[in-house]
Amino acid sequence: MANDESWLDRFVNKLHKKPKPWFKYFGAYILVPIWARLTPVKRLPGGARPAIQPGDNVQSMMNLIMPLKRENRSPIGRAKAALAIAENRDQIFAGLDNVGTVHFARFVIVNDNICMFSFYDGDFTNYIRDFIATIGGAFNDVVKLVEGGDALIPCEENVEAFIQWIHEHDLYQVPDTPTDFLRDQEDLNGDKAVSPVNDDLTLLPRKLVLQLRANANVSLGSGYRAYPGFSVAQVRKKLELGW
Amino acid sequence: MINLADLQGNILRGYTKKPHVRYLILEVAEPGAARRWLADSVSGRNGVPQITSGDWGKNKPDTCFNIGLTYEGLRALGTPSASLKMFPNEFVEGMTARAVKLGDVGRSAPEKWPAPFNEPKRIHLIATIYAEKVEQLDVDQERALTDVKAFKLLDTREGYNFPGDFVHFGYRDNITQPRFEGVPDSQRYPDRQPKAPLGTVLLGHPTNLEGLMWRVPEPAELGHNGTFNAFRVLKQDVAGFERYLDHAAFYLFVHPKGGELLPHGDEEKIGKGPSRHTALREIVAANLCGRWRDGTPLALSADAPDPNENLTNFDYVGVGDARCPHGAHIRRCNPRGGQIVQRIANNSRRLVRRGVPYGPPYDPANPYDPAKPYDGDEPERGLLGNFIGASLGAQFEAMSCDWLNLGLQDPRITGSNDPISGTNDPGTSWFDLPLKSGGTIRLPGFPEFVSTRGGAYMFLPSLAAIQYLADLR
Repeated sequence: MANDESWLDRFVNKLHKKPKPWFKYFGAYILVPIWARLTPVKRLPGGARPAIQPGDNVQSMMNLIMPLKRENRSPIGRAKAALAIAENRDQIFAGLDNVGTVHFARFVIVNDNICMFSFYDGDFTNYIRDFIATIGGAFNDVVKLVEGGDALIPCEENVEAFIQWIHEHDLYQVPDTPTDFLRDQEDLNGDKAVSPVNDDLTLLPRKLVLQLRANANVSLGSGYRAYPGFSVAQVRKKLELGW
Repeated sequence: MINLADLQGNILRGYTKKPHVRYLILEVAEPGAARRWLADSVSGRNGVPQITSGDWGKNKPDTCFNIGLTYEGLRALGTPSASLKMFPNEFVEGMTARAVKLGDVGRSAPEKWPAPFNEPKRIHLIATIYAEKVEQLDVDQERALTDVKAFKLLDTREGYNFPGDFVHFGYRDNITQPRFEGVPDSQRYPDRQPKAPLGTVLLGHPTNLEGLMWRVPEPAELGHNGTFNAFRVLKQDVAGFERYLDHAAFYLFVHPKGGELLPHGDEEKIGKGPSRHTALREIVAANLCGRWRDGTPLALSADAPDPNENLTNFDYVGVGDARCPHGAHIRRCNPRGGQIVQRIANNSRRLVRRGVPYGPPYDPANPYDPAKPYDGDEPERGLLGNFIGASLGAQFEAMSCDWLNLGLQDPRITGSNDPISGTNDPGTSWFDLPLKSGGTIRLPGFPEFVSTRGGAYMFLPSLAAIQYLADLR
């Protein structure tokens, strides 16, 4: 396979093996842009990937990053976002209770983004759909402040588009293992049979660099637990809290 | 009241008097000719079988004929891209792209599906013929394929409803379907479940989730009154299922709490003679399904099948934990009004199910394929299933990935898969048999009794939509 490498591939491999001090500047400002142009990489979709063993599909992670509209990128705009959450506090608690599959949810403002981080059980689309059905109004108050949100309001009547939008704003979860990362990349490109030369695992960082160029914010891994996964209802039942 | 004449008949009717069913799996050959074929299928002109609507008037059709289109089929027919963009993601991506969610992994993985399902993008339209006799299927197939410029026949699949509505695993099926608001209840059977809103099965109508509407592809004549169908070819390992019942019966025979499931002396109540082993087999079979093999629901008759018991008029509200296992197949697929984790989801994932067995009936005396008697292989048999609902994502997929597999709806079954149709691995699978004393006996080691051998997500257009597609230029 080595014979199939281009001069650029060979050059980069050589640098990668014996990095020079100037390489990081050369790489960041010249090489990576050229390389991305020659090898376009699609942005990988966000969210937890369903596990093949269905029992593993509990305590999945959502990292939703929603950029505020340009006019809201100010202390006042950020305060409006904070208010939208505070005003819907009771609804959010009621929603968590009725959806029944959410462990934790928290809202964070980071650099003109309003973020929602949560841990949930089961399928992502079911989680979001049930949430809309339960507290769609609270989502509307948040979404109207963020870029691209107007087209989704009211989310109760744009369920499919809303779920897709959330999916697109949920951070890609970079798998812990290189083979899983390559699988994601191949799935996205529709590649099944033939792996191009630079899919060699030893060159994985190159693909990761290109993905991180297309996708600046990612989650590293899918979350780490100190104990095996349990569903919300299993925890509540065990603690005799009702479910 | 819904205009039944605008709906394809197979959505709300079971065609129960037409036991022979053939699926023609078609690829558009020439879009113009295919559109003319669609126009002829609406009018019944030029020899093409006429689409059977939901309104038969006074004349019952001799045969019934219905169609479903894949996303690729809509594209091939020239559907405008603005309309295509309004179809839901799961339909656009197709069944093979949703494999992990549906449990189509391992030997069920799409990479292992035989032709024509190994080339899903070539499957554009699936036409279904329903008839009393096989000869009628042949006649309608010939009529449907007369114009070779319209469609290329990729393959067929054929099934036959066994007498008494029994299916391969030996259970009685086709017992109940959702009843819908605004639709005359032709079957008039009692059912404790509430009538489902029409939006459960048709686009453009209110859904069961208050305030939520599914997107209707525009123009309105294309999307309104249409619905979606998950067509599945499901292979069933009947010999494996019967072997498992044997193993489980032996296990219970010696289990110290086995007597709670079947008190000594009660064997004949099960209706299979005096053998304790045979009676225990039937108890296991009933618990795995949630119905005795004659259809009697465990929720109504937990100790023995009862031919006088109503088959449909039951609920899980107030049913003690010992009557029907929380993990039983019919309870997993439709928990009715019973307590579930996702409180708003009761009755929201219901589906119209149209299934027909394929392959020869199982013969316990000759379980293996007569063509290959030494291979230990069963002849292929299974179910050609249609799971119809207005949202594939909110109904079929939601039911499949969170309830059928995973068991998220009840903490007592979370982490286990459906014992009959789940993606089971003998090393990790389990099922709890409830006892009247309050405990359970855990059965381990379930293999995968059902594996997927093909399928496609289909859009079932209204009659107006078929005419709209026929008129595209």
